[in-house]
Amino acid sequence: MSTPAPPAPPAPPAAPTTVVPGGTAAAGSIDARKTYGIGDSQVHALDGVSVSFETGKFTAIMGPSGSGKSTLLHCLAGLDTLTSGATFIGDTYLASLDDKALTELRRTRVGFIFQAFNLIPTLTAEENIKLPMMLGGDTGDKEWIDHVITTVGMGDRLKHRPSELSGGQQQRVAVARALASRPQIIFADEPTGNLDSVTGAEILSFMRNAVRDFGQTIVMVTHDPIAASYADRVVFVGDGRVTGEMIDPTTDQVIDHLRNWD
Amino acid sequence: MSAGTLIARRSIRARWGRTLAIAFAITASVSFVVGSFVLADSLRATFDNLFQELNANVDLEIRSAQQFTTDDARDPIDVAVADSIRGVDGVAVVEPTLQRYAQLLDPSGKVITPAGGPTFGVSWEGDNGISGLTIKEGRAPNGPGELAIDKATADKEGLGVGDKVSYLTDSGTFSGTITATVGLGSADSFGGAQLTVLDLDTALVNLGADGKVDAIDVKVADGADVATVQRSIERVLPPNAEAVTGAEVAQETSDQVNQFVDVFGTGLLIFAFITAFVSGFIINNVFQITIGQRLRELALLRAVGASGRQVRRMITLEAFGLGALSTVLGVFGGLLVARGLIALFDAAGAGFPDTSIVLEPRTVIVAAVVGIGITMASVIVPSRRASRIPPVAAMRPELGFVAMRTRRLVAGAIVTMVGLTTFVIGLFVRPGGTTGLIALAGGGALLLFLGVASLSSTIATPVTRVIGWPIEKLFKIPGALARQNVARAPRRTSSSASALMIGVALVSSTAVFASSLRASLVNTLESAISADYIVTDQSFQGLSPVVSEKLAAIPELDAVTPVRGVTGQVDGNTKNIGAVDPVAFDKLVNPDLLQGTVADLGLNELLLQKDPAKDLGVTVGSTVDVTFQNGVTQTLTVAGIYADATFGNWLISLDTLAEVSDAPARDFFVIAKLADGVGAATGDAAVEAAMAPYPQANVQTNAEFLDSQEAQINQLLLIITMLLAFAILIAILGISITLALGVFERTREIGLLRAVGMNKRQTRRSVRWEAVIVSIFGAFVGIVVGTFLGVVLSLAVPDDVISKLAFNPSIIIIILIGAVIAGLFAALYPSYKASNMNVLEAIATE
Repeated sequence: MSTPAPPAPPAPPAAPTTVVPGGTAAAGSIDARKTYGIGDSQVHALDGVSVSFETGKFTAIMGPSGSGKSTLLHCLAGLDTLTSGATFIGDTYLASLDDKALTELRRTRVGFIFQAFNLIPTLTAEENIKLPMMLGGDTGDKEWIDHVITTVGMGDRLKHRPSELSGGQQQRVAVARALASRPQIIFADEPTGNLDSVTGAEILSFMRNAVRDFGQTIVMVTHDPIAASYADRVVFVGDGRVTGEMIDPTTDQVIDHLRNWD
Repeated sequence: MSAGTLIARRSIRARWGRTLAIAFAITASVSFVVGSFVLADSLRATFDNLFQELNANVDLEIRSAQQFTTDDARDPIDVAVADSIRGVDGVAVVEPTLQRYAQLLDPSGKVITPAGGPTFGVSWEGDNGISGLTIKEGRAPNGPGELAIDKATADKEGLGVGDKVSYLTDSGTFSGTITATVGLGSADSFGGAQLTVLDLDTALVNLGADGKVDAIDVKVADGADVATVQRSIERVLPPNAEAVTGAEVAQETSDQVNQFVDVFGTGLLIFAFITAFVSGFIINNVFQITIGQRLRELALLRAVGASGRQVRRMITLEAFGLGALSTVLGVFGGLLVARGLIALFDAAGAGFPDTSIVLEPRTVIVAAVVGIGITMASVIVPSRRASRIPPVAAMRPELGFVAMRTRRLVAGAIVTMVGLTTFVIGLFVRPGGTTGLIALAGGGALLLFLGVASLSSTIATPVTRVIGWPIEKLFKIPGALARQNVARAPRRTSSSASALMIGVALVSSTAVFASSLRASLVNTLESAISADYIVTDQSFQGLSPVVSEKLAAIPELDAVTPVRGVTGQVDGNTKNIGAVDPVAFDKLVNPDLLQGTVADLGLNELLLQKDPAKDLGVTVGSTVDVTFQNGVTQTLTVAGIYADATFGNWLISLDTLAEVSDAPARDFFVIAKLADGVGAATGDAAVEAAMAPYPQANVQTNAEFLDSQEAQINQLLLIITMLLAFAILIAILGISITLALGVFERTREIGLLRAVGMNKRQTRRSVRWEAVIVSIFGAFVGIVVGTFLGVVLSLAVPDDVISKLAFNPSIIIIILIGAVIAGLFAALYPSYKASNMNVLEAIATE
């Protein structure tokens, strides 16, 4: 992969391309701005966000509806583009990539877990899990994939279609898919938003375990203080800016923080 | 297996309804294409075999030579020539052959008319190993009191060996005892023809042959060399006679018949391609909609790392799979279609000798090109669109598609203009003759349809609002919902209506063409022809000259002329020349004479229409050398120049025709006029009495003639509509599937309506009227486009065929009623689907 010359903003801290537990930034943004509309009707979804996410850590991004947290996630993941500023994954500036390179990056270096509609309805659970590898034309690390499948406990439902799985099972498949290609970073967008609290806790445990046991880096957007409490760090976003952060949060601390906001 | 192939395969399996609809459309189109080819190929092979079989034992045929190839009958040959050939070394069997008009009569004296074939009287010297005729039962006829008939007719009419039967020929009515039933080769009949078989001497007299036969067939002795015998025979032949091999005759005859097969096959093929074209619209629309519905799925694929190209390839693969599978089905379907049509012809009395089905490799290749090609072409735009879905749409579907409205309109307008220009150039300039005309006019029309289909989305909303207005007044809320649902997706409305638009456009352009044809005919009959009677032929062989002679002898008639024809060549160009009785013609027809007179047209004189006169640079008094097929060249003097081309461009007198041609005289038709002071009733009775012995002559008054012509024109319209039935059926299916997909999309909305109190019946109604509005919209655009095309087409046709434009409002009303019915049909499944939704599940759907 080429390392393009950094654009106008100062170079980010040098990031290793391999996963080093406790190391430096796996992804981040520098003065990221995203504007919709023109003139008086301009809306700043992102209004100068500079943030970095540590390798091997589970970070939560919190904020009220319309705070720009989802937009930030989409731009960090290369799904959406910025109006100005920069986002990077590892040592790669996303703005420098064309569509082909971005696709390659999503397939090999990024994993996704969405709130809903995570799976291709016509494919079985197993095929969904292997999908990113199949798209790249390889079979992936079979041992690792089996390990992931066992970990999320989907071994006996591999041949089922998404419509034959419960919401919790579908999200487990989504987690397994995100882990299967050993991406540099996983982005999760309200992964438990559609689940009851017990099932949600299960999924969040999987994610935390993946960080702890495999050294996986995860960035998760959520508005649920309980979900946020599973993270190593919470970044608070409001009106398109970073408004604060909290290390090793508990549910109560998060709730207190949010209450002080108002 | 790659991810693309896997997903494409799964998608085909998961969306059964859609897959079936597309597969049906492609299969039907391919079946039609394959059926057309197979039918034509099979008929061709059948005729080739038949004529080869018939001529298998004919080594040589002696006949009059022809100077140039024409469908005109060859001059007959003197039966005495046969005797001189018998003396030639190496000749084993000599059989003179004669074929003229003859028709069997039933006991009450009425003619027995076969279902679709001609009726012939033929000479036969018995089974001497040369003729293709074979005895099925009995023995060959011998003498004036005996005859044989074909087995098919015998079976149908309940006649058999030993029965007495009468038959009618140009010389009169005769009767005899049936001594045999015969067939041709292995078949019981020859293409549905009715055969009266007589021995040569009887045939020469009873068939009115005047001592002359059509040809003389020769079989050479065992061991004799055909080429040597041929040279020996040529030495004893009179001038302008030739000896050709049986194989050549077989080839010529089957080529002649196959000309019709070609025209017929090409005609079918044109409609097959129209069907394929219409299917393309449906497939395109269905893919377009399902890609919209799969937006999140496709975006998700992009998000987890599928490239735009991979998404596009996936959709294309899906289409390819569907196209390939349906093509295979279509090839089998086509074989069935061909078999079915042959069975249909047989049932109608065509009596094909065992037709074997011929599937040429070319047919399979065309089937694949059509089936797979149409599917792939239909999916180009949808798959490009799919590849441009941004990955972020997986979470925010509203960001799914980028609007491409203006570009679409510009492209639509350009395509429409290019199509129109090509169409007009094809019709009026006609580069490259008939092929160019068909290619340019046809291609232009198709482009025009494409353009209009994409432009029609701009008018879809306002027009469907107007169409929906009375429906809303009538059906209140369900009507209002139907009206709004149609108007809210103008692109979808116009593309699902487009398929129907094409079918309707073709029907209504034919309607304009047909009514203009009729109006022009009325015009001609009123202004140019003052005949009271028109006598046409029903025997497929032309009228016997006896008919006009008998009519001329009736005192109640003042002027009678037959219209005969012959082809001649002028400077190497073949011209159709009409021959009439000048004095009678002058009283009956006003050809709008510019110079000279008609009545004084004398021997070896010519009347010329102004256009060819101008082309040749001749005026009254100039001479033109005309060569006829029998080799006679005659110098004709131009006696007059006229403008009205109803009776053709070249006219000579009957005397001149007799001078230049020995071929048996046959009339296309006879026209006659009552004498002054004779009432219609008196005239009718006299004509009827005189024509009683000639049932092959169909006597019609001016009004009756017009009626029968009109019936033929209507029949043409009906046949074209029937040939478009496949396309129209597919169009209805298209509306149905589009609507079903729409209902599926609106599951939640419909669930909500049901939850707040809309009952099943109202739900069904709203879907039903939505379908009706869409199909009326399609019919409306189709009528507008079709009427326009019909006008252009009518203008392009020469003035002697269409001189006047006319419209038929009743056909437009029929089409609109048909559109309502089509809509009701299309709504059957979607409305059932919508009304039988589980309300709770529907609301829970995301």
